[in-house]
Amino acid sequence: MSAVLKNLINQPYKHGFVTEIESDIAPKGLNEDTIRLISTKKNEPEWLLEFRLKAYQQWLKMTEPTWPNVKYPKIDFQAISYYAAPKQKPKLKSMDEVDPELLRTFEKLGVPMHERAVLAGVAVDVIFDSVSVATTYKHKLAEVGIIFGSFSEAVQEHPELVKKYLGTVVPVGDNYYAALNSAVFTDGSFCFIPKGVKCPMDLSTYFRINTQESGQFERTLIIAEEGASVSYLEGCTAPKFDTNQLHAAVVELIALDNADIKYSTVQNWYAGDENGIGGIYNFVTKRGLAKGINSRISWTQVETGSAITWKYPSCVLQGENSVGEFYSVAVTNNYQQADTGTKMVHIGKNTRSTIVSKGISAGHSNNSYRGLVRIAPTATGAHNYSQCDSMLIGNQCSASTFPYIQVLNNGAKVEHEASTSKIGEEQLFYFAQRGINNEEAVSMIINGFCKDVFQQLPMEFAVEATQLLGFKLEGSVG
Amino acid sequence: MIYQDSETLLEVCGLRANVNNIEILKGIDLVVRSGEVHAIMGTNGSGKSTLAKVLAGHVAYEITSGTVFFKGKNLLNLAPEDRAREGVFLGFQYPIEIPGVANNQFLRLIYNTMRIQHGKDELDPLEFDDFVREKMRLLEINPDFLDRSVNEGFSGGEKKRNEILQMALLSPKLAILDETDSGLDIDALRVVAQGINQLTNRDNATILVTHYQRLLNHIVPDYVHVMDSGRIIRTGDKELALELEAHGYDWIGTEHCAILGT
Amino acid sequence: MNIANNDDCFRSMLQGQSQLPVSPLMWLNKLRASAVDRVSALKIPTTRDEEWRFTDIAPLTKFLFQPADVVPYPQTANVSRFYLTEASIRLVFIDGVYTSQLSSNLSDLTKNSGVIVSNLSTGIPEYAAMIKPHLGGYVEFGDNIFSALNTAFLHDGALVIVPRDAQVKMPVHLLFITTQAKVVSYPRCLIVTEPNSAVTIFEDYVALQQGTYVNNAVTEITLANNASLNHIRVQRDSHQAFHIGSCAVSLARSSRYQSVNVALGARISRYNLNVLLADTSAEATVDGLTLIAERQLADIHTCIDHAKSNGTSRQLHKCIVGGNARAVFSGKIMVRPDAQHTNSFQSSRNLLLTLKARVDTKPQLEIFADDVKCVHGATVGQLNNEEVFYLKSRGLSDTMARNLLTYAFGAEIIDRIPIASLRCQLEQIVLEQTQGG
Repeated sequence: MSAVLKNLINQPYKHGFVTEIESDIAPKGLNEDTIRLISTKKNEPEWLLEFRLKAYQQWLKMTEPTWPNVKYPKIDFQAISYYAAPKQKPKLKSMDEVDPELLRTFEKLGVPMHERAVLAGVAVDVIFDSVSVATTYKHKLAEVGIIFGSFSEAVQEHPELVKKYLGTVVPVGDNYYAALNSAVFTDGSFCFIPKGVKCPMDLSTYFRINTQESGQFERTLIIAEEGASVSYLEGCTAPKFDTNQLHAAVVELIALDNADIKYSTVQNWYAGDENGIGGIYNFVTKRGLAKGINSRISWTQVETGSAITWKYPSCVLQGENSVGEFYSVAVTNNYQQADTGTKMVHIGKNTRSTIVSKGISAGHSNNSYRGLVRIAPTATGAHNYSQCDSMLIGNQCSASTFPYIQVLNNGAKVEHEASTSKIGEEQLFYFAQRGINNEEAVSMIINGFCKDVFQQLPMEFAVEATQLLGFKLEGSVG
Repeated sequence: MIYQDSETLLEVCGLRANVNNIEILKGIDLVVRSGEVHAIMGTNGSGKSTLAKVLAGHVAYEITSGTVFFKGKNLLNLAPEDRAREGVFLGFQYPIEIPGVANNQFLRLIYNTMRIQHGKDELDPLEFDDFVREKMRLLEINPDFLDRSVNEGFSGGEKKRNEILQMALLSPKLAILDETDSGLDIDALRVVAQGINQLTNRDNATILVTHYQRLLNHIVPDYVHVMDSGRIIRTGDKELALELEAHGYDWIGTEHCAILGT
Repeated sequence: MNIANNDDCFRSMLQGQSQLPVSPLMWLNKLRASAVDRVSALKIPTTRDEEWRFTDIAPLTKFLFQPADVVPYPQTANVSRFYLTEASIRLVFIDGVYTSQLSSNLSDLTKNSGVIVSNLSTGIPEYAAMIKPHLGGYVEFGDNIFSALNTAFLHDGALVIVPRDAQVKMPVHLLFITTQAKVVSYPRCLIVTEPNSAVTIFEDYVALQQGTYVNNAVTEITLANNASLNHIRVQRDSHQAFHIGSCAVSLARSSRYQSVNVALGARISRYNLNVLLADTSAEATVDGLTLIAERQLADIHTCIDHAKSNGTSRQLHKCIVGGNARAVFSGKIMVRPDAQHTNSFQSSRNLLLTLKARVDTKPQLEIFADDVKCVHGATVGQLNNEEVFYLKSRGLSDTMARNLLTYAFGAEIIDRIPIASLRCQLEQIVLEQTQGG
C-alpha cells in the first residue's frame, strides 16, 4: 500500500483526554458483596437486587464465548472496578448545579447540556462513567407523558414499569456479557413513550468512560406503547489509556402494536493506538422485541471506535407484519477487531427485515460481519433481504462475512448478497487524473460506499458520522 | 493539424521507465505541438499504454532516466492531480468503476476543481446540470447516466463515452486517449470519434494510443508513431497507419530489424 | 492398542482396526497409527461444535457398527443397473472391498495407456513411491474423527494415477455398493494427475437394499500444473444409512477442477469438500445439488481456499427439500494474503417444497487480500411467481408450471455433469422427486 494511503488512514483520536474530577470508585473485584454495594448505593428495591444476584449466579456458571472472530487476552474480572461515579451533590435541582468540569468536558465533546444552547432540539441524557449526570428537556417531555431519564431514577420513580419490562427481551442468562451486565449494571437510560404519543424530539444518550480501571455496564430500556414512536440516538467516547477497559452494555427495546422505535448509534470509544495498545472492549447485547402487530424496530449503527467490538443489535419480530431493520457501517483501522452484525428472528406472519452492512477495514484490522436470519415455522410470508459489502484499504487487513440463514417455513423468502471492493492505487489514480487529490477521493469513495446507511441516520448524526469517518480515514480535507 | 507557429506542448526526451524492476520504456523521444493529432500504434506489450500512464503520473512506474516537459514545466515533478490540473487528460483503457459515487456528483466535482484552478467560480448544481446535459446531448449520451454510479455496470461503450464526456468538461490542453476505440461497436466508435474531433482545436493536442487503424478512419492523425519493445521505431504520416493495416506489425518489425542490421 | 475414547459407538468401530494386516510399508503403518491416536483423542462432535451445529449425529451413535465381513459378491444382474451405458473404466467395491470380478480389466489399460487405475490394497505396494507423497497428505484428520477413522482403517479403495499429457476420454467409475446392514465401510480414493493430463472421475455410492449402515468415505485429489479433472460424486445410499464423506483437492498452477456433487440418499449425510488453490491461476468450479425428502438430513460443507494469486472459483449449490427433511449448506470462500486478483463467485439457492422442510445455509467470505473480486449470495424460498405466471399464461396448469420449474431448478446442476447416461438417470430421479401436487 502506498505511503499516501497510509497517511490518510491514520488520524489521531480527538476525544482522548481525561477529566480531572473527584470520583467515587468501588474497590476492584466482583462478588456478591460488590453487587450488594452497587444496589445499596443506588437505593434499589429488593426485587432488583434479586435480579442482580440471580444473574450473577448464572454468570458464574457460564464461559466466555469463543466463536467471535476476535482475539484478546483473558479478561481478569477481578481487576475491574464495577462502580465509578463523579462525586457530586445527591440531587441536582437544575443544570446549573452540574460540576463545571463536567460541563466543560461535554462541551469539548460537542454534547449540548444546556437546554437553551441546543439548536437541534434533542433531549440528552448524559452518562459519565457509571452514572447519569444530567438529562435535558425532561419536563417538556413529561408534559406529553414521556418518561425519559436515567435508569436509576426510573427505578425509584417508576419501579412498576422497570419491573414489568426489565429482562424480558434479554433474559439475565442470555449470554456471558449480558449476564455480567445484569449483575452489575450501574446506570443507563430509561425511556417510556405512552400509547399514541409520537415523541416530539429525538432522544439521546451520551456515554463517556473517564476512569481508567472501571468498566462501564449500562442498561438501557426503551418502551413504545401502542401507536407510539421515538427516535433515539446514542454516542460514546472514552479517554486514551494504555490499558483496555470493558464496556458491556445491555439495551432492550419493546415495541407494542403499531409502535416504532428507531435506535441510532455512533460508537467512537477509544480504539487503542496505532500499535493496538489500549482501547475499549465493547461487548454489547442489544435486542429489540417487535411485540405488537405492525410494529417496527430499526437499528442504525456507525461503529468506528473500540479495540474490539462484539455486538449484534437484533430484532425479534413477534408481531404480525412487524418490521426489523439493521443498517451498519463498521470501520476498523490499525489493530482494531470488529465482529458485528445482527440477528433477525422472524416469528410472526408476514414479518419483514432488511440488513445493510458496510464494513471498511484498513491497517492491520479485522472486520467481520456475522448475521443470523431465522425464519421460524410460524413465520409464513416472512421476507428478509440482506446486503453485506466490504471494502479493504491496504493488504494487511481482512474482511469476513458470516451470514447464518435458517429457514423453517417454506412460505418465506430470504435473499443475501455480499461483495467486496477496494480503495487502491488504480482508484486513486483515476481520481487524480481528473484533478481530484487523494483525500477528497477517499472521502468521496467512502461516503458513496456508506450512503445507504448514512441516509438512515438523523440529520445531525449523519453529519457527525460523515465527519467521524473523515477523521478516521482521511486527512484534513472535509 | 500542423501549424508552423504553434507552441510546443509536450517534449519527451530519452524517457525510460520500469515497473517491478522490469524496463518497459527504453528511451522515448516525442514532441507534440499544439493543434496536432498524434497516433501511437503498436502491438500488445509494445509499451504504448505504459507511455500513456507514465505521462499521467501513475505511481506504479518508476522513471529511471529522461525528461518530460509540458508547457515548459517539468511534468515528472508534478503529482498526478497537478498534471491533470495543468491540462493533461488521460482517457483510460479500462475506466475504473466507483460504486456508490453518483456520476453527476463526480463530474461536478472534477469540473469545479478545474474551474477553481483557472480562477473561475464554481457552478452550482443547477447551473452544472444545464451545462453537462448540453455536453451529453452533443455526445449522444443518455441522461440517466448522471444518476448512476461512476462507470458501475456501464457497458464498454458507455464507459468510453463517459471518458469523452469528462474530456469535454475539462477541456484539456493535451488529451492522451488510451485504446479509446477498444470495445466499441461501429456506431459508438463514430460518436466517440466525432466527440474527439469537436474537441480538437488550434490550442490543444491529442495523442491517440491504439492497436488498430479503424479509429484513424474517423480522426486523421498528423503523425503516426509505431512502438515496439519500449521504443518508437518508426514515425510517419497517416499513410503509415494504412500500410500497417495492410501488412501487419510483423512487416515493420522485419523492416526495422533489416535497417538495424545494416 | 489402547483405545481411550469413551464412546461405545466409536469404540466398537475401532475394534476391527487391529485385525488389519500390517503393511510392509512403515509410513503406511505410521499413518494409520497416528490416525488411531487421533480417534482416541477426539470426542464425537455435537451440535455445540460450530462445524456441526446444524447436524446432530446422535442417531448414528445409537447403533453398534462392525467392519463388514467379506461376503460372496452379488450377481452382475443385481448391480449392472448402476453401470454407465457408455464405455467406462469401472472399479467396483462391495461393502468397501474391491471386487475384481465386477470391475474392468485394469491391467490392459495400464499396459496400453500408462494410466494407472487400481484398487489401493494392490496398488499401494506396487506404486508405493508415487503414492507416498500424496496418501493422507491432503485430508486433515487432526480434528475430524471420521476422517481419522477412515485413515485408521486405510486398506482398500480406489487409486487413479494419470500420467503426464494423458487425456483419459472414458470416465472412471468408482462404484461403492453396500449390501449388508449394521456395517461400516471406509471407502478411500486417491486421484493423482500429472501435468497437462485430463480425466473424469465418477464417485458413486449405492445400496442394493434399504438398511442401516455407515459409509465413511475419504477422497484425496491432487492436480499437477495445467491438469484438468472432472469430479462427479453421487451419494444415493439407503435412506436409513449414514454417509460421512470428506474430499480434499489440491490444485497446482493453472490446473482446473470441475465438480458436481449430488446428495440424494442417506438418513443423515455429511460431505466436506475442501478445495485448495495452492498455486497461481488455478480454477475451481464446485457445483452441488441436494435433493431430499422424508426425514432426511443432508449437510454439505465446502471450503474453497485461494492461497495464490489469479485464481478463479465459481460455486452454485442448490437444495430442494421436501417432507420433513433438512438441508444444510455451509460454504466458505477463503482468500489469503497472497491471493491477489482472485475472482470468486458463490451462490446458494434453496427451494422448500413443504411446510415442514427446513434449510440452514451459511455462505461465508473470509478475505485477507485487497485486490480481489468476491461475490456471494443466498436465497431461500419458493418458486418465482413471475415464472409460474409466465408458464400459466402459456396455458400450463398451476401444478404443471410448478413441477416444471422445480424440475428445472434441479436440472440446472444435473446438466453440468459431462456423462450423458448418468445425467439421464439423475434427471429421472429429480423428475420423480419434484412432481408433487
